[in-house]
Amino acid sequence: MTRKRFSIWLILAVAVALLWTFLPMYWTIKYAFMTKTEIASFPPLSFPPAPQLASFFNIFGFDYTLPDGTVIPASGQARQVMLGLRNSMIVSVIVTTITMVVVLPVAYVFARLEFTAKGKLLAAILLSVSLPPVSTLIPFYAVYVQLGLVGTITGLVIVTLTITIPIVVWMLIGFFRNLPPIEQLARIDGFSRLYTFTRIIVPMARSGVLVASVIAFLFAWNEYVYAQVLVTGSQAVTLPAAMSGFLFQVPEPAHLAASLLVSLLPPFFIAFFLQRHIAEMNLV
Amino acid sequence: MNGSSARPSRSSEPTPHGAPKPRRELSDLQFALVVTVPVLLFLVVVVAYPLGYALYMSFHDIRFFGGYSAEFIGGENYAGVLSDSAFWGALWLTIRFTIVTVLLGLLIGLGLAIVLRDLPPGWKWLRALIILPWAVSPYGTGIFFAYLGRGQTGFGTAFANALGIDEAINFISAQWVIEYLAFGNAWNMAPLVAFFLLANMLTIPKRLYHLAALDRMNRFEQFWNVTLPPLRFTLFVFSCILTVLALKTFDFIFTQTQGGPGNASSVLTYLIYRISFVNLNLGYGAAMSFFLLALILGLTGALFFFWGRKVSR
Amino acid sequence: MTVKFQEGRRRHLLRATTALSGLLAAAVVAGSLGVSAVSAQESFEAITDENVYFRGWQFRTDVVQGNVDTYNETMGGNVDYATVTGDYPAIMEQNLIAGGELDVLYANPSSAVRYFEGGWITPATALPNSDEIMEDMYPNIREAWTHNGELLGLSYFVSVRGTLLANLELIEEAGFTEEDLPATWPELYDMVYALNEAGVDTPFLPHWFAEYFGISWGFVFEVMNRGGVVADAETNEPMLSVDGPAGETLADWKELWNSGLVPEEVLSYNEAAFIDAYRSGRYVFSPQQLYDIKTFNDESQSADVAGHITLLSSEEQSWGLIDSAMYMMTSRDRAEDHTQDVMNFTSWYGYKNEEGEYAVANRWLEENMLFSAYRSVMESDMAREAIESAVARPEDYQTLLDVYATTDYPAGIWNVVWAEEFNSWLRDKLFAFLQNDLPVEEVINEANAEIERLNDRYGL
Repeated sequence: MTRKRFSIWLILAVAVALLWTFLPMYWTIKYAFMTKTEIASFPPLSFPPAPQLASFFNIFGFDYTLPDGTVIPASGQARQVMLGLRNSMIVSVIVTTITMVVVLPVAYVFARLEFTAKGKLLAAILLSVSLPPVSTLIPFYAVYVQLGLVGTITGLVIVTLTITIPIVVWMLIGFFRNLPPIEQLARIDGFSRLYTFTRIIVPMARSGVLVASVIAFLFAWNEYVYAQVLVTGSQAVTLPAAMSGFLFQVPEPAHLAASLLVSLLPPFFIAFFLQRHIAEMNLV
Repeated sequence: MNGSSARPSRSSEPTPHGAPKPRRELSDLQFALVVTVPVLLFLVVVVAYPLGYALYMSFHDIRFFGGYSAEFIGGENYAGVLSDSAFWGALWLTIRFTIVTVLLGLLIGLGLAIVLRDLPPGWKWLRALIILPWAVSPYGTGIFFAYLGRGQTGFGTAFANALGIDEAINFISAQWVIEYLAFGNAWNMAPLVAFFLLANMLTIPKRLYHLAALDRMNRFEQFWNVTLPPLRFTLFVFSCILTVLALKTFDFIFTQTQGGPGNASSVLTYLIYRISFVNLNLGYGAAMSFFLLALILGLTGALFFFWGRKVSR
Repeated sequence: MTVKFQEGRRRHLLRATTALSGLLAAAVVAGSLGVSAVSAQESFEAITDENVYFRGWQFRTDVVQGNVDTYNETMGGNVDYATVTGDYPAIMEQNLIAGGELDVLYANPSSAVRYFEGGWITPATALPNSDEIMEDMYPNIREAWTHNGELLGLSYFVSVRGTLLANLELIEEAGFTEEDLPATWPELYDMVYALNEAGVDTPFLPHWFAEYFGISWGFVFEVMNRGGVVADAETNEPMLSVDGPAGETLADWKELWNSGLVPEEVLSYNEAAFIDAYRSGRYVFSPQQLYDIKTFNDESQSADVAGHITLLSSEEQSWGLIDSAMYMMTSRDRAEDHTQDVMNFTSWYGYKNEEGEYAVANRWLEENMLFSAYRSVMESDMAREAIESAVARPEDYQTLLDVYATTDYPAGIWNVVWAEEFNSWLRDKLFAFLQNDLPVEEVINEANAEIERLNDRYGL
């Protein structure tokens, strides 16, 4: 159902969609290129009058000298921002890998097989989707203290898995449901269940698997509620927790904007990768 | 009809070791148990303990000063919540926020999906751009919409000023802050909705559209009868997901409004956070969080009961 | 306690600040203690390889990191510094309850008392040179930081939150002069409305932002500035009255809110937004942090207002409240040597370094105009230069010291275990008061009742 050309309405729709997409981001990100005075001016400036890259140097621990000789000093948060970047990477990759290995068969089972306790088991998994982090925050903290998991990457991985696993299961069930019922044929051909699953179903569901792993990655990459309590100010600090240092007490909107932009790059890169994959699907 | 089935896939072709030897197969139930039980065990161990701990706290009065003490007080905390006007106020804000989030999220998601679907072949890369807001953390989204919406720094003021109107346009007002928050939440989530809907739309066989054209359906009828039906399950799933996420939202509000202006966006999660975390009134906070959990289960249950049953089979 | 430095500007800082401290304390000040009295320094060198975990909120983290690096390099220390963000007091409290990796932390007095009552703090009195340290502190501040006879921590900064700043440029544009500047809260409100009549849309940015030190502190200092007391310093009994300063404050707030002159979004601001709003040059008056005068008059940070920001005189009443913070040591389980390291670092960082210099305190004063509790720091030439370079007009130097000298401290609601709880309750109640148009009597009666309830709960 692909149209061949742009119509006026489509152009308009695309323009609105792009504005909707980028305006909110742009409005804050532009601060990364502005000075404190420019950021504070009222009425607010829509464009940086004299864009410069100081913030990007500052948040990684470098001073920056403006053309007029003013030195903008490095941020004291730099060490944490870099640490956060590294830790966020580690946590996200580990969480994504574990989630996918665990979740794929579970989602498949729930989507495609009928068995007696299905409803109850599913409900049990989905119950954990419903748990609001604020109600388990303090209990988790208390337990983690006893286990020595506060301020550790392991602790954060475990707690993040409790978020990613249920939600990815939930999302993948829908995807598996829409696949053609190929496994019946495969079973008739004498393939084992495991073989059918790993060699036929999963490759067939490649795009769904990809989307699901990106979802897991993003949940891990963007997690802030637990991180704020469990790893803030520790060696295991993640990027959102490190960044939030720019948010309170002393206004550093430029540094905040710069680190937000940095934090967006990996997810954006992945989103681009995902888009290529959809395009592949569309070749049919 | 499906990408990977169109191209010969290495793994689905017979390989030298080919099909494994026939052996006794697990029943569906056994297979399901083998796969799901370990996951369930993990979740039970990791989630149930904190949950049990919260349950314990909710029946106690916990104090840290003058020595730690936890005194059993039965259902007093629960009764206290029910007679707490702050709870009822926050409950209403939570429900309002959730409903608007779900509606905006689905509608905008659907709109974006249609735009993305209709892009001419050379413009497919635009999809990668439209998806981006979803990659932004709720926490980052909160910051974006705080600067965007405040009269002091916001787009509204800049825009009005460009038109020659010398006024501060503020969206973070007691009257509209909930809707504005929902708008930001929809900005964050709609691309994901769009993405899944698009994936679904692309599996709709083209011949159905040809048939629709033969039937002389107009565009709306075509949308209603051809495009929408296969999307129903996805829409249902997302209304559940958006409901749950909206009810659980915390960091987004924390960075955007701090529950303000005043208490105008102090939804249940925020209220619980303040009670438990800031005031260390752990028992009371835990009791209130069980009301929130009940609300989440109740609403998703209701969604399933009234809608999910019709679309899931 | 009204201070008047009317008989001409003092040339010599030493005399001025000596007078200041004398008045602050109403106690005898034996001249400058002098850096010459440097005792033969005990070693600050780290003994163990254990990390000393130092945590604070985010304020000039670059400066802190630099200081910590200096310590680690010169003293072979293993200090691990990081910021804790978000709800700082709450997160720290969790950390302390848990006995987590935390050795030295920042704390406001109200949190400090609570942490101490929780048994999580080793007071500064445990330091070997604590007598010398206490001797060096301005007595009123020492008093504020002392609980149950123990000095809770060392001086990070002392400031006045709620110093009333005025943008002279806007005042002159509106057709007023310096002579018209208000001297009391009621006069201030009158002038706010007068400015509005003269065409200023947003004459006042009140202290109504959303942080834990926002609207509730704004109420507390306004009540005190008008001569009231929130709770008794000794018994913690509630002292608010409907027909007294508290009632007047709320009545003025209600009128201001209902006039629509205050943008509603202020109620959702964090401190960064609050500072940026004033920096934009949109507002004439605002109660701000004393040291932020430097920020606002700094051309490179606040070009729109720099050079125009002055402060209201404290001749008729005080402004704001003493906002201070300490470096505190935790009492978590540690080896004795490790604890020695913690003390060495704290003493080096919070008092004098190995050369007997107040290196950290001096740097704060120089770079951010953060005042110190130590007389020796405040009575240096450097201090005078730092302050003079931060104010818009030469005469503001004296005003600033006056404001500093007259500021009150709400001991009755801060030096008590329930301080943070009441603060949080008050914040919510005041927001509701404005937004739901609650009656003044109701709020004041409920506030008194809440204090009584907390006293009961904690057996006070």
